[in-house]
Amino acid sequence: MTHALQLKNVRKAFQGHVAVKGLDLEVPQGSVFGLLGPNGAGKTTSIRMAMDIIGPDAGEVVILGQKSDKALRNRIGYMPEERGLYQKMVVEELLTFMAELKGVRPAESKKRMMPWLEKLGLAGWHKKKANELSKGMQQKVQFIQTLLHDPDILILDEPMSGLDPVGTNVMRDAMIELSRAGKTLIVSSHQMATVEQMCDRVALINKGEKILDGRVSDIKGSYGKNTLILAFEGDGSFLKSLPGVASVNDTGRYAEVRLGPGADPQAILRAATEKLKINRFEVVEPSLHDIFVERVTEVRS
Amino acid sequence: MNDILVIAKREFIERVRTKAFLIGTILGPVFMAAIMIVPAMMASKLQKSVSITVIDAEGSLRALVEDSLRGGEAEPESPAAMRQKAEDAVSGRQRNLGTTRFVIKAPEGADVAAQREAAKQAVLKGTLDAYVILPADVLTESKVEYFAKTVTDFEGIRAVDRAVEKAIFGKRINAAGIEPGKVEALTKPVDLKRLRVSEKGEQEDQGVSFFLSLILVMMIYIGTLMWGQIVMTGVIEEKSNRVVEVIVSSTTPRNLLFGKLVGVGGAGLLQFGIWILALVGVSAASGSLAFLSGIELPEINPVLIAAFPVFFLLGFFLYASLYAAIGSAVNTIQEAQNFILPVMLPIIMAMVCWPVVMRAPDSTISVVLSLIPFMTPILMFLRMSVLMPPAWQIVLSIVLTSLTISVVIWIAARIYRVGILMYGKPPTFPEIVRWVRHG
Repeated sequence: MTHALQLKNVRKAFQGHVAVKGLDLEVPQGSVFGLLGPNGAGKTTSIRMAMDIIGPDAGEVVILGQKSDKALRNRIGYMPEERGLYQKMVVEELLTFMAELKGVRPAESKKRMMPWLEKLGLAGWHKKKANELSKGMQQKVQFIQTLLHDPDILILDEPMSGLDPVGTNVMRDAMIELSRAGKTLIVSSHQMATVEQMCDRVALINKGEKILDGRVSDIKGSYGKNTLILAFEGDGSFLKSLPGVASVNDTGRYAEVRLGPGADPQAILRAATEKLKINRFEVVEPSLHDIFVERVTEVRS
Repeated sequence: MNDILVIAKREFIERVRTKAFLIGTILGPVFMAAIMIVPAMMASKLQKSVSITVIDAEGSLRALVEDSLRGGEAEPESPAAMRQKAEDAVSGRQRNLGTTRFVIKAPEGADVAAQREAAKQAVLKGTLDAYVILPADVLTESKVEYFAKTVTDFEGIRAVDRAVEKAIFGKRINAAGIEPGKVEALTKPVDLKRLRVSEKGEQEDQGVSFFLSLILVMMIYIGTLMWGQIVMTGVIEEKSNRVVEVIVSSTTPRNLLFGKLVGVGGAGLLQFGIWILALVGVSAASGSLAFLSGIELPEINPVLIAAFPVFFLLGFFLYASLYAAIGSAVNTIQEAQNFILPVMLPIIMAMVCWPVVMRAPDSTISVVLSLIPFMTPILMFLRMSVLMPPAWQIVLSIVLTSLTISVVIWIAARIYRVGILMYGKPPTFPEIVRWVRHG
């Protein structure tokens, strides 16, 4: 199988501080790939190296099976985390300008942008200046900008940040549509819920190194059904002191309880019903969020 | 290549569309016309009248001084003299702006002391502007006193000085036994005509070349700095808007930098083009415009017009690429201030060297200065406008500057490449050097 994007042992140091330490990454074609990691883990640096914005100190970038060059990079649409629009430019001109840089003729991009503007709820805004748009709208314009040259691969760095729930859904639907059309999506994010729902593969990076990589189902499966989900009324603070409980992620009326080896979920349920009104009880695989937190804190300690 | 054009097109359109560009394009020629025409018009239109009393202790000079005060300055001035005035006004040399008309008031009082007191009271009351006392021994001692509330009306005082001088000289010459009628002829002032010698022959030049070079060189100087700053502001904006990363994912920082220079430089060139057309237009129409009659505007040498865009672009590319490098390294315009001065220093030096080159455009020092790439845009162009240098020097200066530009752009692009993705504390100078070294 050809990979949409491969990073082979790429490395980058900035003035003594090593940002990425020999990272290997393989993104299968057609996948929705989540690139996860805490702040400063080296996600953005890795992506910038893939886009040749920063030259790697060592290693190789392979796009669609070939060594990266300008023409191949034009097959990628990139929405960086640090993103913005020329504030005084009209949306339509902005989009044609960006597409023209990728070799799309203005007439063609005008044709292509209309359905997307409509889909993202921006119909009628294309004659407005960027600074007349709300932040969320500007972000949608940036998204359209990323795909107007019809790329095979989309790299989206924190695509949902700053969007309201409605905007998040609209964006998610657009991404799903692109994925169904056969595009490869690489999504870098902290928002685990989104990544968990959308991505079929993830890589977890911490301190410039990959600490986890694979299919989401495999990763979660490897932990087994060792998590209890409890929805309750009352004070759940005692849960973490119950025997067999490894950790609790308590959000007040909802808790994810990680069980230690050999613990009995039923015993915990019995103990919980004595003190709480239980609305929901489920034994599940751990969430990506929990795995993420666990692995990152593991590495730290 | 396509990237560069796409970026240049965007930059060009964005600059040209702004209100600032429109206003600058219109006001530029108005301003230029103003500095050319207004002083000349003022010189001819602005007449002020000064009431003056001549108190004569010597006894025989009053009528003569009054006569020459009345008539001495009344003669209409030649267009050449008026243009000279305009030039002087621009260059800051105060020579003789406007014509003072004197209203003679006869002294009141029986003797000199009474006359003096009466005049003093009149000046204090404001009914008299000034009075002059010619002492009894004025013919031998040549000392005259001028009294007024203010003694800063240099031009009026000079006119009084000349009038008194004329009267006393006349008197002395008479005393030496020469007929009064001949005095006028003998003391006729000399008019120094300036002629420029060139292959084309001898041309009368009343300082027009100076005046023209002044405008064009100033345009290169101001244009280079102004449009360079515009590039810098644009880079800072791109950085603070966070647009830049999107763009460098589609093109190289080097192409982005180059496209910017081409686009903004093009906008600058367009504005100058409009200005020069306006200048040529005003020049050509000056004959038929009533309010300009009698004022000769400078004729424009076509070689200079052709050379102007070349030297403007040389200066612009050289300095604007440095400005762009600064813009990429900092986050705000305030932070940029610290870096701007060292960059501007060479071009300021060139302006400081202007008088040296002006005085002796073909001296060794002028040739050397004009061949220093960072000074070429100003000084070689200045030399061309004063005295056409040998072609090899012009070509050499353009080649040297172009080579320097490619080096500077290379350096700027390396700073740019690192700088545009650096947010936070602005770098120190050694850090910037490291960026250039390791790119």
